[in-house]
This record gives sequence, structure tokens and C-alpha cells, in this order.
Amino acid sequence: MAIVIRRLEDRDEVENFDCGDEALNNYLRRHAWTNQEKISIGVSYVAIDESAPRTVLGYFTMAMASVPRDAFPKKYVRGFPPYDLPLILLARLAVDRRFAGRGLGHALISEAFRISLRVADQVGCRCIVTDAYRDRINWYARYGFVPIAGASESRNIRWGPVICGQSVRRCDVSWNGRTMRNADRK
Amino acid sequence: MALKTRKKQVEAPVIHRPRKARFQAHLAPAEDSTVRLLKEELQLTSDTDFLSDAVALFRWAVSERKLGHRIVSESASGERKVLVFPRLERVAPDIVLPRIEIKWTERELESLAELASAAEASPPTEALVRALRG
Repeated sequence: MAIVIRRLEDRDEVENFDCGDEALNNYLRRHAWTNQEKISIGVSYVAIDESAPRTVLGYFTMAMASVPRDAFPKKYVRGFPPYDLPLILLARLAVDRRFAGRGLGHALISEAFRISLRVADQVGCRCIVTDAYRDRINWYARYGFVPIAGASESRNIRWGPVICGQSVRRCDVSWNGRTMRNADRK
Repeated sequence: MALKTRKKQVEAPVIHRPRKARFQAHLAPAEDSTVRLLKEELQLTSDTDFLSDAVALFRWAVSERKLGHRIVSESASGERKVLVFPRLERVAPDIVLPRIEIKWTERELESLAELASAAEASPPTEALVRALRG
């Protein structure tokens, strides 16, 4: 099974995708393409097997977001620049349940981090946030997501800054075929 | 004795005609020749008529742009060109760009601010390093 992760394409088969969560299935079937190609609000990336290159096995969607500086409590604002705080939103991430347990989630989130790094490097961004289902919090915590306190009981837990550029810059990791070290990242 | 009748003088109503404004423009030679050429093409004999027509056209353009309409020219073959005129953009309504709206509670914002304003980011977890090495 050779997995490739690439941008969602028009002819991808999404109708049979089933991750067991209707909201996530529905997003891929009905909204992902429109949001990506027509209104440019979020880009979806799909995992496919090279032997069946149109069948979506898993996907994630990323979008840019921001929090207005004035929205923050005043005691924190002093340390902030006079602009909105830019965020990367990992808006969706799901794996078809027929392919669960094969490391697809790890492959997808890894690609999401690589994209986040590139965006943070080229455009500027402080952190990546996501809304996680409560039963998935341990999985996200493994990648360094920390819970943002204050979510109401009625909704998913919001997870906050995992990549602030420098957190990854401090370690030696291979990225885009080259080793990224403190020296050449600063 | 002739009877003198006094004609009652009826005062004519005073009509306040709007005062005509004078308009004087200092044109660069190139603009002056453009105006002359346009007047000739449009068969306008006076500067007043020229200015009046120009104002009518400008007023229409401003009103269209105010409504958010674009001003487009279309050739016989269907090729379209959109007029981009920076001054007109000043009256155009703001474009509502699609954007991601995240609703935050006050407590969440406080928590996010605390995390995002930390001088040092948390060290990457093993899984994160592994994810980026892959």
C-alpha cells in the first residue's frame, strides 16, 4: 500500500468515504471542493493509495484564521503586536474506518504539520489550532497540542498552539529533504 | 378733473435662479489636446457641454460603483474588460471576503493568549518530531 497525500481533486471519489462521523463525511462530500476551489476558504488534502488513485482513504482540511488583538483580555495584549494574531486552523481530519489503524492519521497530521511549517515560514503564523473530539484528545496531545481552557461542555475541546515556529526550529528534523537546524532556520 | 387711478404695483415674484458656477481648469498640454480631440469626436462645441457630459458620465459611473456594480466593456467577440479606476474604488462597498470565523469564549481567549504569548514554546513531542522527520 503506497500512500500519497495530495490536494483534493475534482474527480476524486468522495461519495463512499466513511469515517463513522456524518459531519466529517458530509464535509468531504459536499463542502470540501467548494471551499477549496470556489471560495478559497480552506484547502483539503487527501490520502490515496497509488493503486486506486481516486479513492479517498483519509483527508484533512486547513484554513487560515485570526483572532483580533482587541479580543484578548487586556492583561495579555501588551505582549502582542498591534495586529490580529494569525492562526492555522486544522479544520478537519478524518480517516475512512475501513483503513483505520494503519498509520494514515499519523501520515495526514504529519503532512498538515509540514504545510503549517511552510506557511509559518513564508507568510507568518504563530500557532496551529484545532477542534478535537473529546475521545481523540490523547491522540492530539501526542503531537504536542495542548488544550485551550474554557470550551463549553456542549462542544469539542479546542486545542491550541503546537507549532510556534521556534518550537520546531529548536530540533533537528528532516523537512523537504534537508535537515533543518537551528543555524539555518534563524 | 381727471380721476387718477393708482395702479397697484404688483411685484413680480423673485425667482432665485441657481447661480451658474464658473469652472476653470489648468490642463497640461497633453490633457488639453485630449479634451480638444474628444470635443471634436463628440461634436461638442463648448467647454460647458463637454464638462456637462463628462460629469453625467462620471456621476453614472460613481452611482454604479456605489452599488457594487463593476463597469465592463464587451467587444463584439465577447471579450470583456473591467474598468479599474482607483478613485471609483473609494465609493465601492467593501467586499465581503470569505473568511473563517472562529467563535471563542472569553476563557478560551485568555488561555490562547497565555499560550501564544509564552516566551518559549513547549519542546516538540516525540510524535511531532517523528511526524516531521517522515
